[in-house]
Amino acid sequence: MKRMFRFAALAVAIVSTLALGACGGEKKDDKAAGAKEIKIGGIIDLSGPTSSVGVPYSEGVKAGVAYLNAQGGIAGMKIIFDLQDDAYNVQQGLTIYKKFAQDKVVAIQGYGTNVTEALMRSAVKDEITYFSASYSAHLTDPKTAPFNFFTSADYSTQVRAALKYFKENWKEARKPKLALLYPDHPYGISPIQATKDYASELGFELVGEANVDLKAIDATTQLLPLKNKKPDFIWCGGTTPSTAVILKDAKKIGLKATFFTNIWGSDENLIKMAGDACEGAFSLQAAAVYGQDVPGMKTILEVSKNQPQMTHYIRGFVSMLAMGEGIRLAAAKGPVTGASIKAAVETMKDFDPMGLAPKISFLPTDHRPSMAVFLYKIVGGKLTFVTQETLDRKAEWLGK
Amino acid sequence: MRGKCGLFFESYRAEAAVFQSGFQKTCLGLFVAALLLSPWVLDSYAVSMLNLICIAVIGAVSLSLLTGVCGQISLGHGAFLGVGAYAAAQATMHGVPFLAALLLGGFSAALAGMVFGVPSLRLKGIYLAIATLAAQLILEYVFLHWESATGGSRGLIVDAPQILGFSFNNERRMFYLLLVAAALSLLMVTNVLRTRHGRAFVSIRDFYLSAEIAGVNLFAYKLAAFGLSSFLAGVAGGLWAHYTLFLSAEQFGISLSISYLAMIIIGGLGSITGSVMGAVFMTLLPEVLNGLSGSISSVLPDISQHINALREGVFGLVLMLFLIFEPEGLANRWRLIKAYWKLYPFAH
Repeated sequence: MKRMFRFAALAVAIVSTLALGACGGEKKDDKAAGAKEIKIGGIIDLSGPTSSVGVPYSEGVKAGVAYLNAQGGIAGMKIIFDLQDDAYNVQQGLTIYKKFAQDKVVAIQGYGTNVTEALMRSAVKDEITYFSASYSAHLTDPKTAPFNFFTSADYSTQVRAALKYFKENWKEARKPKLALLYPDHPYGISPIQATKDYASELGFELVGEANVDLKAIDATTQLLPLKNKKPDFIWCGGTTPSTAVILKDAKKIGLKATFFTNIWGSDENLIKMAGDACEGAFSLQAAAVYGQDVPGMKTILEVSKNQPQMTHYIRGFVSMLAMGEGIRLAAAKGPVTGASIKAAVETMKDFDPMGLAPKISFLPTDHRPSMAVFLYKIVGGKLTFVTQETLDRKAEWLGK
Repeated sequence: MRGKCGLFFESYRAEAAVFQSGFQKTCLGLFVAALLLSPWVLDSYAVSMLNLICIAVIGAVSLSLLTGVCGQISLGHGAFLGVGAYAAAQATMHGVPFLAALLLGGFSAALAGMVFGVPSLRLKGIYLAIATLAAQLILEYVFLHWESATGGSRGLIVDAPQILGFSFNNERRMFYLLLVAAALSLLMVTNVLRTRHGRAFVSIRDFYLSAEIAGVNLFAYKLAAFGLSSFLAGVAGGLWAHYTLFLSAEQFGISLSISYLAMIIIGGLGSITGSVMGAVFMTLLPEVLNGLSGSISSVLPDISQHINALREGVFGLVLMLFLIFEPEGLANRWRLIKAYWKLYPFAH
C-alpha cells in the first residue's frame, strides 16, 4: 500500500515492454508484405458462445480468399488474410481491431453484432471497409454505419419476406395467426418491431409473444399459453440451439404450427438437434445449402474438397466474393484504400456471387445488399429450397 | 537519510505520507515521465492497450474500494459501469461539456450503486453477492429496454470527447486523457484510505460488530462505500463510452463484473497496487494468449481451431493456478520480490 505508486509504475512498465515486444513481432509480417499484396483482417468468433456457426463461417471466408488468390488475386494483388478470434467479446474485438488499424488493413471481414457495432464508429474514423455477419437492419443505414456492409438481407427483411410468402399462400378466409418467440437480447429484439408492423399491414393477427432465452433448455412455459391461442405461424428468433428446444417442446405438448426462423435460427445442425420435430419448419437463408443446384456449387465443391459444409460456410464465401468484387472495382479506379473500397462497393450493381446468394447491390444512401431471401423448408431431414421471395426496396424500411 | 537501514518515522504525518522516501519519489517521477513519453515511442496498438488498461485500472480500483477495503462483495460492478457510460453518453449528446458529463455519469452510477447497496445493511457475504447479481440483471434489462435513454437494441452512438474545443480523437490524445483520469482516481482512493472514513471502511470489513461498537455508522458507511465505488465505476464507464464511441447493452454483462472481480482478486484484495496489477494482468492475458495461439497456429495450422477453443480453458487455468499459488495476489508477490532485492546479496 505505502509504495503503491512505485509498484504500479513498475507493473505498467513491464506491461508496456510486453506490449512493445508483441508489436515487434507484428512488424516482421509487415516487411514480408510486398506492394502486390492487399491486407484484409478477420474478426470472427472462433471460440465462445457463437463459435459453432462462427467457425464454418470463417472457413467459408478463408475458402473465398483462397479461391480469389487462386484466380490470380484481385487486379494482380494477392490477398493476405489475417484471421483473429474475438470470442464474442467486445474488448477482444476492439484490441484485434486496433492491431488491424495499425497494420493498415483496408478491409475487415467481421462477424457478430456486439463487436461489429462496437467497431462501427472506429471503422469510420480509420476508414476501413467492414463486412459483417451481423445482419441488424440499422447497419444498412449509411447515416449511422457508412463503412459497414453485409451480403445477406437484414434480419427485418428476412422476416418480412417470410410473412409475405405465408400471406400469399394463405388459403383460408380468416386472418392468419402469428406468434413471436425471441430472446431478450439485442439480436432477438432487432427485427421485432418491423415484424409487428409488417404483419399488421399484411393482415396477420398477433396472438402471442414470449421470450425464450438463447440458452434455454425448456420452452414449455412459453409454449403452453400459445397452444390455446392456436397460432398458424410461430417466429423463433433465437439461434439454432434455442430453436431446437422450442421445436422439441412444441412437439411434446402437441402444438402444431408452422415454425420459421432466420439465418442463425436454423441450419444443418437443427436437424441433428431436433430430429423429426423440425419437419416442416421454414428456414430463411441468404445463401445456398451445400450440394444445391446453383452455378457456383461446383466451385464450392472444389474449395471444400467435397467435404459437406454448412450454409454459413457458403455465406462466408459469398461475403468474401463481394468484398473481392469491391476491391476489384476500387483497383480499376485508382489506389486501393479503405475509403476507395467503400466508394467502390457503393457502386456495386447486381453482382452475382455465382448464384450462391441473391444478387448484391449497394447504393451510397442504402447499404441493403438485396431484398431477396431464400426460403427453405425442412423436408425429410433436409433443408429443401422452396422459393426466392423478393420484396420492394422501400425507403421507409431502410435501417428498420 | 544516510546511515539508516530502513524507514523510520519521527511523526505521524510522515508515516501517513503517500510518498515516503526520496527513492520512491524518484522512481515515480521516472515512471510518470516514461508513461508520458510512451505514446511517442509505442505504436498505436500498444497505446490502445495502455488505454484499455487505464480504464480497467479505474474500474478495478473502484471495486477494490468496495470489496477489498470495505468487504462488500459486488457482482453488479459491470452494470454500474454501464449506468455511468450511458449517462455520460446521453449528457454529451445533449451538449453537456465532456468533463461535466463524465462527472454526471459518475453521480448517476453512484446513485444506482447506493440504491442497490441498500440491501447491504441486512445482507452479508454470499447473500449480498446474490443481491448485487440481481442489480446486474435488472440494470441489464433496463439498458436493453429503455429505448429513449439507451437506444435499446440499436445501441447508442457516442462522439469522441472534446475539452474546450480540443478533440481527443486518436489513441495518443485519448491516452493522456485516460492516464490523467486513472492517476486522479488512484490518488482519490489512496487519500480516502488515509482518512478516518477509510479506516471506518476497513473496520467494517474486519469485523462489523467491533466497528459498530467503535462508533462507525454501518449503514452510512456501507452506502458511502457503494456510492464512492460506483462513482468511480461510472467515470470508467463514461470514459469507455467515449473511447469505443458506441454503447450497447451487451458490453456491460455479467462477464464484465466477473472480470473486474477477477482483477482485484488476482491483484490482491484490498490493495490499490494490487488492483492496478490485476487490471494490467487481466487486460494483457488475453492478448498474450492470442499472440501465443497465433504463433502456434502458424507453425501447426491444422490444430489452430483446437487452440482457439483451448485458449478459453487456459485463461481459466491461469486464474485458478494464481489463486492456488498466489492467494494474496500479485501485490504480495511484488512485496516479496522487493524484500528479496532490498538486502541482496545479504539475505537473512
